[in-house]
Amino acid sequence: MSKQLTRYALTFIALIALQTLILNNIKLGGFINPYVYILFIMLLPFEIPGWLLLTLGFITGLTMDAFSGTLGMHSSATLFVAFIRPLILSNISTHESTDKKGSPALNMKDIGWFIKYTFFIVIAHHFVLFYLETFSFAHFFTTLLRVMLSSVFTALFILLSQFFLIRNQSN
Amino acid sequence: MNSLLRFLEKYYFLLLFLILEGFSIWLLVDHNYYQKASFGKLSRGVISVIDNQIRSISNYFHFKQTNIEFMVENVALRNEMEKLKNRLEANKSNLTDSIGSVKYTYSTAKVVNNTINKQNNFITLNVGSNEGIQSEMGVITKDGIVGVVASVTKNFSTVISLLNTNLKVSAKHSRSGTFGSLYWDGVNYRETILSEIPQHVNLTQGDTIVTSGYSTIFPPNIPLGIIEEFELKDGSFYIVKVKLLSDFKRINNVYVIKSHQAAEKNLIEKQNE
Repeated sequence: MSKQLTRYALTFIALIALQTLILNNIKLGGFINPYVYILFIMLLPFEIPGWLLLTLGFITGLTMDAFSGTLGMHSSATLFVAFIRPLILSNISTHESTDKKGSPALNMKDIGWFIKYTFFIVIAHHFVLFYLETFSFAHFFTTLLRVMLSSVFTALFILLSQFFLIRNQSN
Repeated sequence: MNSLLRFLEKYYFLLLFLILEGFSIWLLVDHNYYQKASFGKLSRGVISVIDNQIRSISNYFHFKQTNIEFMVENVALRNEMEKLKNRLEANKSNLTDSIGSVKYTYSTAKVVNNTINKQNNFITLNVGSNEGIQSEMGVITKDGIVGVVASVTKNFSTVISLLNTNLKVSAKHSRSGTFGSLYWDGVNYRETILSEIPQHVNLTQGDTIVTSGYSTIFPPNIPLGIIEEFELKDGSFYIVKVKLLSDFKRINNVYVIKSHQAAEKNLIEKQNE
């Protein structure tokens, strides 16, 4: 149990550091900013109690806010993702994955499932985040384009990182 | 009581979500710009120290480019100095005390962190209160304005970038002298919008837009950009697209402006309210 706790704490620190030190400095065409820290919420165990899920979502968001000077923006978006995560999990789960224990990570037998999961979570997060950032529907389609482009990059990054983890474990 | 508990047990997930989300939205909406910038001062102080290290390495790769830019600017400044010297000679007879009339002083700073791909972009500089930097000082490069200092720590300061949808700067159309307000619409980092220019003003593509000097933050007549296109909005005011002279992706060396008359000017303007 405490081993698992340490692992999640380390994941949290690593993801926040990766996001604030490296990814926030990527400026692709002034349009794309991948937000990979959301992977932390994705990897939390299936059987996590609801209140803990929401609280962790809120804290993760607030930490990101502290590092980017955007009070309330990341916390709203990340909290939203924590809220709809059980909904997404129950909707896309196949027969095998319904009674899963542990963390919803990528496994080689069911790649499609993890891709779907990543896709829904990332879109939901980026949608809330970018529209809160603009705080209006004035540039609706420009913002939508930013949501889509950044989502693609975030999803790719998350999937790639998981593939590498799996390969390392099997070696 | 029992049914209330059962209700809470059933819906606590939704309720907790609504409470926390409400709190987040309140944080987002009900705080002004300076409060938000000073939240996370500590964490960004730590980040700035790391960024500073990274930047000092990457600076080596830009030395050539920076040197050329400095040389060009130096030549321009020298020419300007000569011109002023000549004028000074010509007017020597009616000179008054010139030390008391210095309005602005400049100091240099280096950018240690910069974003351009958000809606509300910030820049971090390697100078802070130790160097006499205060909030609401202007920041410029040789190609125009960069932003306004938002919060200051001992060794660093955050600047609200011109590429921040919440910053508005008073600017004027150089040829006619009409002023309006310049802001970023969050779309393209090379373009800003100048609004409130009345219909009768004769605009042409390529006209220069400069600072107006009405606020005490920036001196007048700093070039900002050139008119790219313009259109009438609601029949009476122009919406002008201004192409910025400075490339925000590459700003590195900036000047921070201290205005010596700001306090006095703000005081007399407050009396009228």
